[in-house]
Amino acid sequence: MSDEIKWNRTISDVNDGILANLGKPHPSYYIAWGAAIICVLIGAFTWGMEMTVGVGITGKNSPVYWGVLITDFVFWVGIGHAGTLISAILFLFRAKWRNTVNRSAEAMTVFAVITAGLFPLIHMGRFWFGAYWIPPLPNTNNLWANYRSPLAWDVFAISTYLTISLLFWYMGMVPDLASIRDRMKGLRRGIYGILSFGWRGTAKQWHHYEAGYGFLAALATPLVLSVHSIVSWDFAMSIQPGWHTTIFPPYFVAGAILSGCAMVYTLLVPVRTMFRMEEFIRPEHLEACIKLTLLTSTIVFYAYGVEFFVAWYSGNPYEWGIFEKRAIGNYAFYFWVMVFCNCIFPLIWWSKRMRNNMAVSMFVAVLVNVGMWFERYNIIVSSLAEDFLPGSWGHFQPSLSDIALSVGSFGWFMFWFLIFCRYFPIVSMSELKLIMPKPLSKKH
Amino acid sequence: MKRPGGILVIYKYLDQVCDAMVAIRGRSDFKDHEVFSPTSYHEIDEALDAGPSQVRWFTLSGALTGTLTGFGLGLWIDYDWPLVVGGKLPGLYSIPSYVILGFELTILFGGLMTILGMLVMGRLPNPRQRILDVRFTDDRFGIFVPNVALDGEQARLLKQFGAEEIRTIESE
Repeated sequence: MSDEIKWNRTISDVNDGILANLGKPHPSYYIAWGAAIICVLIGAFTWGMEMTVGVGITGKNSPVYWGVLITDFVFWVGIGHAGTLISAILFLFRAKWRNTVNRSAEAMTVFAVITAGLFPLIHMGRFWFGAYWIPPLPNTNNLWANYRSPLAWDVFAISTYLTISLLFWYMGMVPDLASIRDRMKGLRRGIYGILSFGWRGTAKQWHHYEAGYGFLAALATPLVLSVHSIVSWDFAMSIQPGWHTTIFPPYFVAGAILSGCAMVYTLLVPVRTMFRMEEFIRPEHLEACIKLTLLTSTIVFYAYGVEFFVAWYSGNPYEWGIFEKRAIGNYAFYFWVMVFCNCIFPLIWWSKRMRNNMAVSMFVAVLVNVGMWFERYNIIVSSLAEDFLPGSWGHFQPSLSDIALSVGSFGWFMFWFLIFCRYFPIVSMSELKLIMPKPLSKKH
Repeated sequence: MKRPGGILVIYKYLDQVCDAMVAIRGRSDFKDHEVFSPTSYHEIDEALDAGPSQVRWFTLSGALTGTLTGFGLGLWIDYDWPLVVGGKLPGLYSIPSYVILGFELTILFGGLMTILGMLVMGRLPNPRQRILDVRFTDDRFGIFVPNVALDGEQARLLKQFGAEEIRTIESE
């Protein structure tokens, strides 16, 4: 696709253009950063309250013990899927449009997974009583974690995903950090020199770097597909109606990529304007991101349909009961928001004109993110609230603390993302140079 | 350790540096020369003709260690404190549950060892970084040949490929 792009710039313009973000930022940057800090403080205060008063301040109660906090966990893990998908899978497929968006998508992944990792701890309240038994730590009782439990698998899946995503992101950045080092003077030069490990850009370094990057991509590719599959087994391995279904792993992975790509778009459109990168992050690249979002939206649409069909065709009254109630019961509002935001509104992207209309696409991408949050809420809450026995049914209502903790998580995520945008190269300069016309002295 | 001086030849174009690389490849009078590039052009990799990177052995050893560790961890814990469910004995009967541990640790250890391989083979971290020209991380290519002089045969050869600049680097 990007082969057809008529670049107005050469590789000599890349460093100057991309590193403009290291200069004085637009005032809107400080406003966004301040807003993020306020949200973090709201979240931190609420978490402190929860640790002091108890988990009862959230909406959790019998029978819904997984409420908004686990919804937030699954949501943020899902957001974290686009980065490594774009960097690893699209790298192996040699999709060139990834070269302009992979860096910020990977940063988004790292910060989203860090945010997600907080939620099981927040969910536990006084987490220090509850978290120590999940890793295999030797202890005097000679007790170990039960590795037949998907919750214990999940700990391994998320921590592996975070580690690999972080390493992938950072190693990809090393040559670019060296570029910054070479433009700086004094203390900043020293700091970027340490951060870039003393990279010199020799042909031998590039040779091993490229090989290693390829291996990391090959390792990360099954990892991307496995992480949300394993998250989905937190649900699918139980016998809860609405959860106990074999379609969950691919359905969750498609949903995660849908929300991740929508979030990449939501973040990139303002970032490219704020840091004046329109010449490098081209409309064609953003359109490719939208196409991927549309593709995964159709997969999710299909999965919603299959879920209903299987619930009906199975003849299992508990299963069908849950699905019927999802559509017309107490939680119907959440269900229909989910369907419209994830399946119906994205249909507008079949039109090329709409895909290229950034205001419209931005609006729909935000709606997709809203829809994906509602999807997780719908799955978790509706199944737990009304399972087999009517005598044990209950109702879940998010509390103010739930909302405050969710707001805090958005602030926490944005806080780190904005720091990244200010001090690190937002676009991978060394990879961007690869998709631009090669500097050749003669016509080949 | 003292770092040798020599000549630094700077090129503006990719094909020029590749032609120069091919011409001097394997020659004893260009021993220990270094080539610099702003990004990982495949043309340069081909001209380098270095064969497959040794990083692959780091990746393989890490991944295999991870697989064994994952399954080993599950089995060892299972034997140490059996959780008998449905009358199933510990150990081999429970192996399907440990596929996740084996898989995740394969990726984790494989990834960590790949990073280690990239660092070791690329001679990183390199605190005594010797930056010969800051343009090599921007848009220029270069060849550094140690222990030769500006008026030597080597400099003349490299210049004829269209060098933009050629200068002496002092030993330090």
